[in-house]
Amino acid sequence: MSTENLLIPLMIIIPITCALFLNLLHEKSRVVKIISVIVALLLPTIPLLANYGIQYFGGYAPLAQNPTIATGLPTFITGTALNIFHPAITYVFGSAQKLMITILGFVALFAIFISLYEVKKPSGVYIYLILMGVASVMAMLLSDDIFNLYVFFEIAALTQVGIVLVSKVKNNYETALKYLIVGSIASPMLLLGIALLLGVTGNVNITDIVYSIKTGLVDPHSPVLLMACSLIVFGWLYAAGLPPFHTIKSAMYSKALPTGAAVLQAFSVFTFVALGVIIIRIFSYLHFAEIFILGISLIAMVLGITMAITQTDFKRLIAFLAVGELGYIGVGFGLGTVFGITAGLFQAVNEAVITALLFIGFGTIMYKTKETELKKLGGMLVETPKSALLVLLAGLAMAGVPPFNAFQSKLMLVQSSLNSGLPEVAIIMVLLSIVTFMTFMRAFHTIYLRPKPADLVIENENIPKVTIVAMVCLLIICLVFGLYPQLATNYLQGLAMGIA
Amino acid sequence: MIMDTQLASLLTAGALIVIGIFGTLFLDNLIKKVISLAFIGDGANLFLIAMGYKAGGIVYIFLPGMSMSEFSQNAAYPLPFALVLTSIVIGASTMAVMLGLIIVLNKKYGSLSASKILGDN
Amino acid sequence: MNIYDFILKKIKDVKMETGDEGPVTNISATSMLTAEITIISSLLIGVVMLRLLNRALMMALIVIVFLIIFMAMPIMPKLKREQNDSLATMSFYVIVALAIIVSLFYWGNLNV
Repeated sequence: MSTENLLIPLMIIIPITCALFLNLLHEKSRVVKIISVIVALLLPTIPLLANYGIQYFGGYAPLAQNPTIATGLPTFITGTALNIFHPAITYVFGSAQKLMITILGFVALFAIFISLYEVKKPSGVYIYLILMGVASVMAMLLSDDIFNLYVFFEIAALTQVGIVLVSKVKNNYETALKYLIVGSIASPMLLLGIALLLGVTGNVNITDIVYSIKTGLVDPHSPVLLMACSLIVFGWLYAAGLPPFHTIKSAMYSKALPTGAAVLQAFSVFTFVALGVIIIRIFSYLHFAEIFILGISLIAMVLGITMAITQTDFKRLIAFLAVGELGYIGVGFGLGTVFGITAGLFQAVNEAVITALLFIGFGTIMYKTKETELKKLGGMLVETPKSALLVLLAGLAMAGVPPFNAFQSKLMLVQSSLNSGLPEVAIIMVLLSIVTFMTFMRAFHTIYLRPKPADLVIENENIPKVTIVAMVCLLIICLVFGLYPQLATNYLQGLAMGIA
Repeated sequence: MIMDTQLASLLTAGALIVIGIFGTLFLDNLIKKVISLAFIGDGANLFLIAMGYKAGGIVYIFLPGMSMSEFSQNAAYPLPFALVLTSIVIGASTMAVMLGLIIVLNKKYGSLSASKILGDN
Repeated sequence: MNIYDFILKKIKDVKMETGDEGPVTNISATSMLTAEITIISSLLIGVVMLRLLNRALMMALIVIVFLIIFMAMPIMPKLKREQNDSLATMSFYVIVALAIIVSLFYWGNLNV
């Protein structure tokens, strides 16, 4: 395994540097456009080109692999567990990270392109926020250091607030402040959990923490560790927007621009995965942690999808559906088998793409009419036949209709829950998929199929070509993963086997 | 000494967090809410730094003339100290954004009452 | 009064309380009804999972849950009212969830 892979740190460094640079130039729209296009194109290409490897930031490889430093050190360092501990911030880039970071890069790429071409004067600040968020979520996926993850978790939370603040949607400031207040309760709890882990194991590197627990250097059932587990799980609920945070998370999505909502949900999905993987890696020996993840995922599915049906604003409706679909990923994690975790990770990748497609697709309605209330809309099929078709296909994909990708991952989830002897979970998942489809069809019917209300004004005539192209590209990703699921699962299986 | 310094810090941290949660839930003034949130954050930071405390420990700088075994047995744990600095910076920036938002909302509503500004809307 | 009328009346009551304007349309009533059925059926199926713990407990709980649901019939309007966007409700549920999670993990890991 090569440790000299420069592309791994560049995945994080390029977006952050360019983001800071763009923020300075936010009046010069031409320069902003050129730089944004280049960085956006780099986002998915760097992870595609990078080799698998490990990167040590601000330190060096463990002494066991590093004889030049290890020679001459006393035996109470080289002869103990210190010899294999990681004295650096470690970034691990494996096959699962490669797939997830590439997908995140693609979602961000399309969001940036659309936001550049939908407005006359592109805003450097908005692109800055998207790039900063993408870089921090990528870092969370890569990082093997739990405190480094916490830092990027906070940066991601602040950028999410920023994305909502620049949207100019009604009442966005109030929602942003609510999110910050709720977040300021939850993230110190996550920090407290990390502090407890640090206190017990003396480490922040996850591999070393797992080593300490597995080899009995610390007592695995000490109450402090149980407390740490519960606090980290609480932080995870906040980061992912699972209940009780589902209302604020869906409000955040609905107060952002469509492109903003598309990247926000991708952030939540991959933050969910990053923290969920860590919880399973460290605490999988606690059987109750898995039961809890399964339970909270079922609650998220039921609450998210039933709340979605009753919404009257289509952005909020999609937002609640997005929160509900997160539960499917959690079910895969909660089952705890290799097959289940692979299915959960696959569902995460699929959901990031499909929900982004739905947000962008319904965003075209907002672009044309500046209206989000369902009861004021209608007859849009005549106005936007192309995007209507794409939105319909996206809805079918979300509900898990073949040949799209979510069908494959939901099928895998159902199979793995049957294998684990929990047919009830499978039944609930299928039932909620049907309700998801019904919810989507209700919105689709009201917006596109029923007669157009007389007072509905069309403000913008043509949808930009780049929006349609972006939607087609996202749909192609859905189709490819739906027809060849091995393409994704082969990448994800390694991580699932490592943590199950 | 009645109480161990580390235990005292941990108890203070717990008290700060509990007071902060109480304030966030029950105080209506937004500025007071933010102060309570700062309490929670500070409690977590104090907790983190108390983890690195060592009774009778020395500063973790290896000075010339020190024997290695003496240093390794007496030095305090440096990691929490480094981490808490980052955490304080994050807390400060979050609070800056919150206070900025409160200024904007205060101009819009002419009030600082959370139930009026952050109600069901 | 059949159940549909009953639910329609309840939705109207909730709408009056929340100050929501506009008539109760066919679509909104159907949506509420779907949500209601979804939540009841998932709850009952969820309770069946307790068979892994204890079969007698599961049977007893199914009957009890069924009765409770039947008494509290339109659940969804109440649930929707609880999940509103006001900060007070949100932070209340966040703290309640924190307390539940901490105690559940402590108890659950020592007993399950």
